[in-house]
Amino acid sequence: MSNQPANTPVTSDNRKKSTPQIDTDEVAAKFDRHLFVRIMGYLKPYKGWVVLAFLLNLLGALMGPLRPYLTQIAIDEHIVKHDATGLLWIVTALFGLLALEGVMSWGNAYLTSWIGQNAIFDLRQKVFRHLQNLTLSFFDKQPVGRLITRTTSDVEALNTVLSAGVVTILGNIFSILFIMYFMVMLHWKLALLTLAIVPFMWWVSVIFRKRMRDAFRETRKQVARLNAFLNEHVTGMKIVQVYNREAEEMKRFDAVNNDNRKAQIKTVFYFALFYPVIDVIAALALALVIWYGGVQAVDRSLSLGVLVAFIQYVRMFFEPIRQLSDQYSTLQGAMAASERLFQLLDLDETTREDEHPKMPDAFRGKIEFKNVWFAYETPTENAEPKWVLKDVSFVVEPGQTVAVVGPTGSGKTTLINLLLRFYETQKGQILIDGVDIREMPLATLRRKIGLVLQEVFLFSGSVARNITLGDPHFTEAQIKMAAESVGAATFIEQLPNKYQQNVQERGASLSHGQRQLLSFARALAFDPAVLVLDEATSSIDTETEQMIQHALENMFEGRTSVVIAHRLSTIQNADQILVIHRGILREKGNHQALLAQNGLYKRLYELQYKEQEVL
Amino acid sequence: MRELFQLNHYFRKYAYLFWPGIFFCFASAIFSVMVPMIVRYGVDAIPRMVAQYQMVQGTAVAPLLFRQSVYGLLEFGGLVLLVSLLSGICLFIMRQTIIVMSRHVEYDLRNDLYHHLQTLSAGWYTRTPTGDVMSRLTSDIEQVRQYVGPAIMYAARSIVVVIVAVVVMFMISPTLTWYSMIPMPLLAIAIYYISRLSFSRSQAIQEQYAVLTSRSQEVFSGIRVIKAYAREAFESDEFDRESDEYRKRNMGLARVEAAFRPAFVILIGMSVVIVIWVGGDLYMQGQISIGNIAEYIIYVTLMTWPVASMGYIIMLIQRAKASWLRLNKIFHTKPEVADNEQTKPTITHIDGHFEFREVTFRYAPDGPDVLKCVNFQIEAGKTLAIVGRTGSGKTTIAELMLRLYDTQSGEILVDGQNIRTIPLQTLRGAAGYVSQDVFLFSDTIANNIAFGRMDAPDDEVSRAAAEADLLENVQGFSEGFETFVGERGITLSGGQKQRTSIARALVRNPKLLILDDALSAVDTATEAKILEALRKHYGKRTVVIISHRISAVQDADLILVIDNGEVVESGTHEALLDHKGLYKDLYTKQLLEEEIAALT
Repeated sequence: MSNQPANTPVTSDNRKKSTPQIDTDEVAAKFDRHLFVRIMGYLKPYKGWVVLAFLLNLLGALMGPLRPYLTQIAIDEHIVKHDATGLLWIVTALFGLLALEGVMSWGNAYLTSWIGQNAIFDLRQKVFRHLQNLTLSFFDKQPVGRLITRTTSDVEALNTVLSAGVVTILGNIFSILFIMYFMVMLHWKLALLTLAIVPFMWWVSVIFRKRMRDAFRETRKQVARLNAFLNEHVTGMKIVQVYNREAEEMKRFDAVNNDNRKAQIKTVFYFALFYPVIDVIAALALALVIWYGGVQAVDRSLSLGVLVAFIQYVRMFFEPIRQLSDQYSTLQGAMAASERLFQLLDLDETTREDEHPKMPDAFRGKIEFKNVWFAYETPTENAEPKWVLKDVSFVVEPGQTVAVVGPTGSGKTTLINLLLRFYETQKGQILIDGVDIREMPLATLRRKIGLVLQEVFLFSGSVARNITLGDPHFTEAQIKMAAESVGAATFIEQLPNKYQQNVQERGASLSHGQRQLLSFARALAFDPAVLVLDEATSSIDTETEQMIQHALENMFEGRTSVVIAHRLSTIQNADQILVIHRGILREKGNHQALLAQNGLYKRLYELQYKEQEVL
Repeated sequence: MRELFQLNHYFRKYAYLFWPGIFFCFASAIFSVMVPMIVRYGVDAIPRMVAQYQMVQGTAVAPLLFRQSVYGLLEFGGLVLLVSLLSGICLFIMRQTIIVMSRHVEYDLRNDLYHHLQTLSAGWYTRTPTGDVMSRLTSDIEQVRQYVGPAIMYAARSIVVVIVAVVVMFMISPTLTWYSMIPMPLLAIAIYYISRLSFSRSQAIQEQYAVLTSRSQEVFSGIRVIKAYAREAFESDEFDRESDEYRKRNMGLARVEAAFRPAFVILIGMSVVIVIWVGGDLYMQGQISIGNIAEYIIYVTLMTWPVASMGYIIMLIQRAKASWLRLNKIFHTKPEVADNEQTKPTITHIDGHFEFREVTFRYAPDGPDVLKCVNFQIEAGKTLAIVGRTGSGKTTIAELMLRLYDTQSGEILVDGQNIRTIPLQTLRGAAGYVSQDVFLFSDTIANNIAFGRMDAPDDEVSRAAAEADLLENVQGFSEGFETFVGERGITLSGGQKQRTSIARALVRNPKLLILDDALSAVDTATEAKILEALRKHYGKRTVVIISHRISAVQDADLILVIDNGEVVESGTHEALLDHKGLYKDLYTKQLLEEEIAALT
């Protein structure tokens, strides 16, 4: 086993067969008028500027072909006729025209970017806000990666269409039209002959565009494969080395790398071919101009100036044609992205706010569950949903601490999800201080409840930012006080930058216990009337354990607390214990009452008692 | 630039592409400069033909002469087409050789780099962020390729086009050439600055785009907290601020590019206008022909791109140099752990006797000691268990046994010999390592299990799966062992992943099996089953179990209790219980937790 056997390819090849197709191909959406109109709707606030950009573009399209025309006049009317003053005038005009064209192209470029960036900003803002307001059940179903794609690359895909898009398309069409106009005006027969190459150029552009797009798609796929392989192997290098797989992985990498090379070389081929082909077509036009134009000149039906002008026009055609075919494919990409975005924006999964919200007279923290039934899927008529909570009723008096106990999956977390109105109950009612939570303003409800989750989520940024969640209303003293009352101040003060210390992404630099304390401080800073806590189960060292114990006592003091309890002390000190089993509230009461009941809790307690004796 | 000469051996390796490429590059440049010349002859021929035609007009010769002119001009036209075609073919071959060569070099470089990366040790990887390694492997290599391919190609072509065109232009009229060349250097300088600016601004945009992405990532991952504290409005404003910064940076680039347009339009257009102006004067003085003017117009347009690309090429070379320096830094990094002169290649087998003598270790030279003077000995075929808190140094012991790192002081003996004398292939080949953070590859389950023993027959794979209590799960998948795992396949649960990685270790029939917290995600019943299966091989392999759970370690021959890098207690389960120390505490606490879990 110490050396890699040489006969491995047999087995590894067999195994390789099952590699599934990597499907990164984007679906090319068809042009959809409604989608297009809706995309263009985002340009509405910038209507005036769009019109201005269009006018600039139109003028620019006109000026380009005007120069060869003036050249023709310069040659025929002035140079050939030895008119130096006239030539000077024309040259001055040409310089003026150039300057003007320069200024306009600047204005046009800047303006279109400006419009596009603003429209993109608006759209991104809208998408982000909309997403954030969707209910948790939406987030349960969506991988985070997909949501990121919506707010970033999907929005980005509309950039070209919203900035240069329509303006450029129209501009290019006008360019071609103007060039045609000038050519026809100068000499219509020669113009027709030269224009004969336009469909040819268009056809070649379209064919190559399609080929290149396919080749590009293949390279993108290969690059993605290469990156995935590298990312995986750089991350898992330890495993590769411990399992002596260097030689085999090198072989595999070589294969992936080689596929990438092949795909790249294929695109090189199309590129290498495309420009020479276009050049030759342009040369064909030039040859036609020289031959036919020359013959006409001999015949005196065409001047030399016109000939020179035509030589320039022949070269002017290609750029707008190429751009037009480019525009078409970006438009396609934008369509696909916009379809996804609009689907999302049309989604109406927000928590409904009452039109005439009610507020309790004072938030004292009384909680009441009245016959609450809940299932995560929406109940349908023919099928009974899978109830997670069944007919749960209880009352928590202000200032009480309630411990919720029960096995995993019994519905404990659902209980707190409902209290915060992350989900809506199907039957029954939840009241806080006598008011149905559905009638309360959502923000008020949530601000009054402090939630601490089992798995602490830290945001990138400073310790202070994580306590205040960015609320600027907190004073430094308030932040300190919150940290002190949960005992987090000790470790925070020891950090190099204290409260301004960056916690890194996901709090990588803080220990488990420290993160827990930080989330306590966060909850306390907001001074909630009700504290909702999902106790962490993971074991931490004794010192932190004691700190957390102490912090919890401080937090429960003087406020209604609902705790999904894992700590024995929490359970015992609770004013009320709710024993939940399979979504049913099996037992409730304080420690003594439940013991007397001689039921599920009794059995639980016996073990707790035993533990206490040992400790 | 001198640094980039180190790449010259690639040009030698691909000489069969490089030199033809350069040749065709020159040829295409020369052909494309010829086109204007032909145009000039054509245009200049016309007045002559007109003059001749006028003389004979009305005579019988007229149609004949006219026909002759038609043929003459057809010749010019045909010549234009022919020369363009030749230039096009050369252009095609040029790209097909030089650019293709650059893709070969890219492939070689990336293979070399990956090969080198595989030799670097764990220490280097802990110090280097994955993102950095990835950008070396992707964008830096691409920058170098840009130099090897496009930069050299454009440079060669540009130089030839400019030189030939300028020479021809000078032969016609030095004055006109001087004048028409005025905007050219300006153009090159403008392009250089603009490409540099737009490159740095594009990077600024990319950075901000990454900020936007991580902002979204954070908000959508932490949506529960945000909703619970009703922070949606704040987060939206924050996002808007980042989005606004993104817009600003985009406008920063747009400003540069917008400024580029008039510079380009004016500088290019100016040459043509100058040709008409000065050329017109010269024509009036009788120094040049109208054909020369037409020819000049084509020359200056022909030269525009080569001149403009000079600025661009300089920027490409600068970027390639920076990337190449970064790549070189990795290429020059020597692996910290490797076979050396101490290694005895004759050792091809180990029994599995391990001894730590006064081992002290730290990950970084200036970091804290992770292990302090650790001493222990485990005989071949016995079971060693390590318990202790998170961060106490348990994993480090396992990693040192695999020689992922070398110790700073003290020594590790394997079968009585210093671990450094044993070839890495032998040591690691005899090991089955199940790491704490399970890492599976995007491949089939079978391939993942046979990862360290590719010739493992199918029944061995399924035996290993059975011992890891994975077989039933696998049989439950529709494609069995051929089921794909990872992003593009099914998502395994934490426990399934752990058991797959255990099977991966078991299939090697290792002499040393290390289970680093490898049973944390499976329930106690499964744990018992797996431990039972392991027991069957008792005496045949050395097993190291690192765990938080007493149930997993209590049968070990030797249990080490590690705290803060030191061995604080060691002995058998019974001995340690009698000792009434840290181990005993841990034991009672867990017993209770288990009972509560069993009850609820």
